[in-house]
Amino acid sequence: MAFNSGRDSVVPGQLVWVDVHTVMTMDYLGKQCFKAFESLGTDKQLFDKERVICVSDHLVPPPTEQWATMLNEWRAIVKSYDIPNFYDLGRQGIAHQVMVEQGHVLPGKVSIGTDSHANTYGAVGAVGNAIGVTDAAIAMATGKCWFRVPETVKFYIKGTWQPWVMAKDLSLHIMGMMHWNGHLIYKSLEYCGPAIEALDMAGRMTLCNMTVDLGAKNGIIAPDEKTAAYLQPAAKGQWDFIASDDDARYDAVYEVDVTNVGPTVSRPDKLDDVVPVEQVVGTKFNKAFVGTCTNGRTEDFAIMAAILKDKQIHRDVNMICIPASTQVYLECLQKGYIETLVKAGAAFETSSCGPCAGIHTGVAGDGDIVLSAGNRNMKGRMGSKKAQIYLTSPAVVAASAVRGEITDPRTFDV
Amino acid sequence: MIKGKAWVAKTYVMSFEMIIQQYWTSPIDPVENARWVMAGVDEAFNKENGFKDFGYTFIVAGHNFAGGGKSIEHCITGLMGAGIKAVFATSFARLQFRNAINYGMPFITARDMNLGCDTGDELEYDPESGIIRNLTKATQFESVPVAPFVAEVAAEGGLMSFIRKKIADGSIADLH
Ligand code: SF4
Repeated sequence: MAFNSGRDSVVPGQLVWVDVHTVMTMDYLGKQCFKAFESLGTDKQLFDKERVICVSDHLVPPPTEQWATMLNEWRAIVKSYDIPNFYDLGRQGIAHQVMVEQGHVLPGKVSIGTDSHANTYGAVGAVGNAIGVTDAAIAMATGKCWFRVPETVKFYIKGTWQPWVMAKDLSLHIMGMMHWNGHLIYKSLEYCGPAIEALDMAGRMTLCNMTVDLGAKNGIIAPDEKTAAYLQPAAKGQWDFIASDDDARYDAVYEVDVTNVGPTVSRPDKLDDVVPVEQVVGTKFNKAFVGTCTNGRTEDFAIMAAILKDKQIHRDVNMICIPASTQVYLECLQKGYIETLVKAGAAFETSSCGPCAGIHTGVAGDGDIVLSAGNRNMKGRMGSKKAQIYLTSPAVVAASAVRGEITDPRTFDV
Repeated sequence: MIKGKAWVAKTYVMSFEMIIQQYWTSPIDPVENARWVMAGVDEAFNKENGFKDFGYTFIVAGHNFAGGGKSIEHCITGLMGAGIKAVFATSFARLQFRNAINYGMPFITARDMNLGCDTGDELEYDPESGIIRNLTKATQFESVPVAPFVAEVAAEGGLMSFIRKKIADGSIADLH
């Protein structure tokens, strides 16, 4: 933060204007961002049109006439600015996935987006932050955004990942420890330790993604060789390795031994009502969903394909899978995961947020019990307030889908 | 000095219930957003101008006011349009806290004040001293002081006017 605000150092609580590397906005707030931007009096001059990233993700393909019209307005405005980085239907993806996989977020730089899960960018060592329309409009004009320098909380994760345990399980485990929007409100979270170094980029994205649901300002993982290898083909811009100062001060330090973390489930309505899978084994459900900016990546479908190979999804379960981006879709196609999952009885949709926020492609109705690998399970999140949503990892969803009841993948005969 | 009636939240107030899904894409406008603000928070507010018509001036809440993680600014403009002059809470969800600062809407941190207030109580807030008096109960609460930047933005009528002015007079490059 110090570097990006042109200072040698900053202290927690200080309010500073920071240079942003990229600003992301998407279909359902984007038009409002451009309109607000136009009212600032910069004669429609964007600070840098290469660094204003526009994505269609919540509303594509449009489920209603009203949204089709909204999307047309959105496309018209993006086109009028000749935005080179416009990820529209056909090249679309969930904005946060696109931002990371297309190299629009870089280590040590600040990127902002008009959606809460912008925290995902921390997976590559960037500061990712969610903002509203006003902040986006101002950043589009000036390249700057104000921030209150946060206190930092460190999570040191040690131990060895157990079979079928995923970053999502750790994320839910920490949710249970710290509570939903609880003690970590306004804080910056730093994940480190051998179990984080062992994690692939997909897992790091899952972990940073859900820091927003802990109430945190952002979540960050120091970049390493894996980050470099991941960014190398796509990175748009130069970057350096950065790490915390050796004398960095932490508001608190927590240690978790991942060896003791098993598959984990959040029970309906309250994200922090978290239990080890054993406690809910046998719970029947009728809908399964894997996708979202939390768990819609190639690695997530890979583990599902490993579990569901030559198996059949239970007749009472409807499973919807939505790759987080077109690139993920293509990778899954090329690696054969989609074929395996479709043969098992899963339905695939083109990349979008899908039913995650109750918008389209598989929303929940009255009485539905959904087992989801998404990120939020409050009443009404996926549609009906009379539906229940259990959240867990893609591995638990896949194993459970075969039996039609929540199943511990460790006890599942693969 | 601001005086008026308070609404006290009984449980978590979530942003996605302050503005329910069908209005997420509506224009950001105090009058428009006030028609349906808080519709999902309480059955009593679930009709047109439902919250506004109660004529509250303040909201008093516990932890994580406006939580749940939506970035929509309609929550703030809706409250403004409904006549809310300040929200007092033990803590605020950071996204809406930010939006409130940007709109010059006082989101004032006052710990556990919700425990000593009831809906309908008459409050008096002094922005200078940060003191909140509950005239009905004859009690008094202190709040966390507001940062100078926040007061400056509020005095300009919000961040958009603040920045617009700086762009117009060429001082925008001095932001730091
Ligand atoms: S997938 Fe869900 S949580 Fe992620 S950006 Fe879309 S609606 Fe939000």
